[in-house]
Amino acid sequence: MNRTISSALRGSVVEEEVELTIFELGRACRTTEQQIEVWVSEGVLQPSGGTREAWRFHGDSLARMRLATRLMQDLEINPAGVALALDLLDRIAELESRLRR
Amino acid sequence: MTRDDDVATKYKDYYETLGVPRSATQEDIKQAYRKLARKYHPDVSKMADAETRFKEINEANEVLKDPEKRAAYDQMGSNWKAGQDFQPPPNWDAGFEFRGGQGGPFGAGGSFGGAEGFDPSDFFESLFGRRGATASAGARRRGTVQGEDHHAKVLIDLEDSYRGAERTISLRAPVESPDGRIAMQERTLDVHIPKGIRPGQHLRLVGQGAPGTGGGKTGDLYLEIEFNPHRVFRVEGADVYVDLPLAPWEAALGATVDVPTPEGTVQLTIPKGSQTGRKLRLKGRGLPGKNPGDLYAVLTIALPKADSDAGRAAYETLAKAFAAFDPRAHLQG
Repeated sequence: MNRTISSALRGSVVEEEVELTIFELGRACRTTEQQIEVWVSEGVLQPSGGTREAWRFHGDSLARMRLATRLMQDLEINPAGVALALDLLDRIAELESRLRR
Repeated sequence: MTRDDDVATKYKDYYETLGVPRSATQEDIKQAYRKLARKYHPDVSKMADAETRFKEINEANEVLKDPEKRAAYDQMGSNWKAGQDFQPPPNWDAGFEFRGGQGGPFGAGGSFGGAEGFDPSDFFESLFGRRGATASAGARRRGTVQGEDHHAKVLIDLEDSYRGAERTISLRAPVESPDGRIAMQERTLDVHIPKGIRPGQHLRLVGQGAPGTGGGKTGDLYLEIEFNPHRVFRVEGADVYVDLPLAPWEAALGATVDVPTPEGTVQLTIPKGSQTGRKLRLKGRGLPGKNPGDLYAVLTIALPKADSDAGRAAYETLAKAFAAFDPRAHLQG
């Protein structure tokens, strides 16, 4: 049987192959660069690179940032409250994962 | 999100959804919304219907928090019952100006309300139109603007991650025509699912988002990967777990048993004296990738029923042989 070369689209795995700039992260999460700076100062996101322009966010930041944005908008929580909620959600996820193992 | 024109739109009682009386103040509505939103937010809640409930709560709030929309909704009267077939009365919205207000895309399929874009029901749309949604209002900018990024979820099977796969996904996205109307357009994409992808990871497809304006670049499409639940295997990160039941003599004496893995059956040596809960690791047989995960067989001991003479005799022999065995010794102080 002949195998045809697939025309399916190939993407990159964000969490493994992608580093995002502040611009890309803002666009992907529909949030402003100022808001990203707030998340960085709250410790929710930890980019590499010294200056704002040089910041590079690990691919994991995408899901975290989207979650933070949803919580802030849907539940009307301030950034410090969101940071706390994220830490607690991380702990719950870790405990649940231990239960399932 | 499919809309079937043969199915009549049902009336929604937004006050009932938020659990407030029709006389509630704006402050009451805000409080009720916040309380319910915390309870049913899909990122926080573990309830099976959280996403549906949250959408309903969000939609009710969208109308009731806005004094103008609330007044228009109230004007239809209070004789409607939730679930009743509904047609907006003619000119019901005369005097209100929320139609044609700032609109905005609701995001590609798969997202729920809130930050990802408000996804209104047919009932909401029959009253306020698609453009009545304010939750995802985006200011219209002039000049060269890059298209928005879109997001969608894709469900795959565990085996797809082991082998790599192709999936055809359909997306509904809002498209703006030259005269400014927003219409939902469906398109399908064939997407390669790379080997080793893990639940919760995202695939970025550059240039598959919304088109830009004024010569701006097309946005990107992000696909969030989720796994269908598997009958046998559990996935934690890159590691895969399988419960492996053993007969008591296999656990006590040691044995070589067949273990299913997503890549086929392998033989596993059970050390003698194995107890329930012991995890045996098959290195590198979890999800593949640069840092492949491991497969863990979690041992459990299955007891055969003593429902024959021979079976009862065997257990009695066992009892005699282990007369000194006290499984509850550690419970004594």
